[in-house]
Amino acid sequence: MDEQPGLSDEYRKASPWPVFVAFGLAIFEVGIVMALFPVAVGGLLLFVGSVVGILRESGYVADPWKGLVTASVICLAVGGAVALTTTNAVRLRGIAVLVGGLLVLLAGVFGSFWEPAAA
Amino acid sequence: MVEAGQIALTVVMGVFLLAVAAFLTRFEDWRSYAPIASGGGYVGEQTGQAHQEKPSGISRWLTTVDHKDIGILYGLYGLTAFAWGGIAVLLMRTELATPTEAIIGANFYNALLTTHGITMLFLFGTPIIAAFGNYFIPLLIGADDMAFPRINAIAFWLLPPAAILIWIGFPLAATDIGIAPAETSWTMYTPLSVEQANPGVDLMLLGLHLSGVSATMGAINFIATIFTERGDEVGWERLDIFSWTMLTQSGLILFSFPLLGSALVMLLLDRNFGTMFFAVEGGGPMLWQHLFWFFGHPEVYILVLPPMGLVSLILPRFAGRKLFGFKFVVYSTLAIGVLSFGVWAHHMFSTGMDPRIRASFMAVSLAIAVPSAVKTFNWITTMWNGRLRLTAPMLFCIGFVQNFIIGGVTGVFLASVPVDLVLHDTYYVVGHFHFIVMGAIAVAGFAGIYYWFPLFTGRMYQKTLAKVHFWTTMIGSNLTFFAMLFLGYGGMPRRYATYLPQFTDWHLVATVGAFIMAFGQLVFVWNLVTSWLEGPRVGSGDPWDLEDDGLKTKEWTWFERKRETAIATDGGEPNEQDVRTDGGEPSGEETGSRSGRRSEEE
Ligand code: HEM
Ligand SMILES: [Cu+2]
Repeated sequence: MDEQPGLSDEYRKASPWPVFVAFGLAIFEVGIVMALFPVAVGGLLLFVGSVVGILRESGYVADPWKGLVTASVICLAVGGAVALTTTNAVRLRGIAVLVGGLLVLLAGVFGSFWEPAAA
Repeated sequence: MVEAGQIALTVVMGVFLLAVAAFLTRFEDWRSYAPIASGGGYVGEQTGQAHQEKPSGISRWLTTVDHKDIGILYGLYGLTAFAWGGIAVLLMRTELATPTEAIIGANFYNALLTTHGITMLFLFGTPIIAAFGNYFIPLLIGADDMAFPRINAIAFWLLPPAAILIWIGFPLAATDIGIAPAETSWTMYTPLSVEQANPGVDLMLLGLHLSGVSATMGAINFIATIFTERGDEVGWERLDIFSWTMLTQSGLILFSFPLLGSALVMLLLDRNFGTMFFAVEGGGPMLWQHLFWFFGHPEVYILVLPPMGLVSLILPRFAGRKLFGFKFVVYSTLAIGVLSFGVWAHHMFSTGMDPRIRASFMAVSLAIAVPSAVKTFNWITTMWNGRLRLTAPMLFCIGFVQNFIIGGVTGVFLASVPVDLVLHDTYYVVGHFHFIVMGAIAVAGFAGIYYWFPLFTGRMYQKTLAKVHFWTTMIGSNLTFFAMLFLGYGGMPRRYATYLPQFTDWHLVATVGAFIMAFGQLVFVWNLVTSWLEGPRVGSGDPWDLEDDGLKTKEWTWFERKRETAIATDGGEPNEQDVRTDGGEPSGEETGSRSGRRSEEE
């Protein structure tokens, strides 16, 4: 069947990441606005992880673990800035991003050593 | 208590993330090994041929980045939202059958009103258009897929969480955690929307925000696709009219949805973080109205332009001639796109703004009626002396034109300041925009669904049922929305659960009309489902005989090629008989001969 003429055989019509990028963003937003700490952290992990995953899949980053480390730097910077400059409820949100960033960093570092050549 | 809640949430999140990780590893496994072990459990597209690039079952739909699959997903999503918005409005219309608060309380009425408006505009209107865009733009312009298939999938998958957040106030209201559905109306005017302490409002705003992100990503994708992915033979001069309207619409989305997103964030900040954007000390309530309508008016054209494109594409094919004045239809689309950013304050005439500013907005609003009328005349002229074939898609196109004329003319009246000062915030406005959003936009969507039904299912719908759907929709909508116009002339204000006894009769008419429409939609769903499952297979790649008039477009050529190659690999279907299409020929065979056709599928 000649449904997609001109497409190379390697072209995939499926990717597991988009669903989780979207859900991650949604869960993260809910966590931040409704001040649900674990939800915010979990959403952030899902979002960041899936973004790195999709970037690797489409070849924009070569090493997903380095991607995680880079992403964690952004999270730590943003979360840190919010946590340092605010108080109380807003600060809590900053700390959520900070904690999420730390976990991402851990995952990235751990992955780099434990599985050097990404599958 | 709070501690326990946090711990429970943490556990839930942890388990959820583990489940995601497990799913991902499974999927990655599949990706690494499947191509070697070919065949097996992977389904192809209804052609009997296995395609290894897609997994099977539910995973296929969760992971697809194929524009056609995503189009189908958008379509199912849009129709689901349409059902919920419809149920909400039926409850409201039932309440409005009597002047007093008899069936549902006023607060519940307000919640339904809000969810109806937001659902229909953001969760039905925009997605159903994206459904057509995703499925057909690449086929119409000869592209392999959308420019960014993964972003396409992300844009879709933002929508289910958006719907959950927008609707969740209703189920949560049954619990005792203090969250109820929002009662802000779709315009979310401040200070009302800031002062409602209910966290359900925050959830709804978040959901809206996500739907806006989704629409923006989709729009970027359509623009990139139409600019860069056109086939070699499709120059700008050969771009079809639907793609032109989608391109313009995407431009409008690009300039207006981010603004809505920002305004929503400001509102969330005002509600939760003590900012004062819309407080009297800050920008004041007028700031919200300006921001909202600067988005809101383009939004109505975001919703109407692609349906206009559908009608401009479909109507000529059943009139046996080319679209009259094609170029002018394109120019008027672009003109509407530009002008629609200069009319927003016609929603605010009665707010006490400077009369000179008011007059200039009135002038631009009247001007926008000109390109709209250009289109209307072009549709009528296309049909004039044409060889009309009154198939279901054609009937819906004609219904579109009729309702659009009424909706447009009432809009022109509203655009005139002195008239608007009398009719603002009455049912006249409700009648005006429902003639367009339901009478025209939804009806054009139906035209599109029937027109392409053979293409995306390979089968034909049941034409008698389609005609029942058409007539109930037309009669119902005209009953309901004319009654609304008359109520407005009588001074009936909008957005109330109760009213003075003198309005009873027209309200009753409107309620009856709404139920007639609802009945028609049940017929529609029934027809869609049964025909999809066991309707008669179409007998050719050109079920509408467009070739005869030289009006065949690229997507049918694609369909033809798909059928040919599919039959070649399948060995053909021996007892395939030519199914007559809905072309005014003798009826009766469609429902009769649909047994034993489930043959080689999958
Ligand atoms: C011929 C061009 C049109 C003109 C001149 C026009 C004019 C107007 C005016 C002046 C109003 C404000 C009435 C008031 O609140 O007092 C209005 C409301 C509205 N119009 Fe139109 N309109 C036109 C076409 C459309 C189209 C094509 C759509 C939908 C796709 C539409 C949807 C709406 C909606 C949703 C409202 C009500 C907003 C609200 O307050 O909730 N209009 N129109
Ligand atoms: Cu407007």
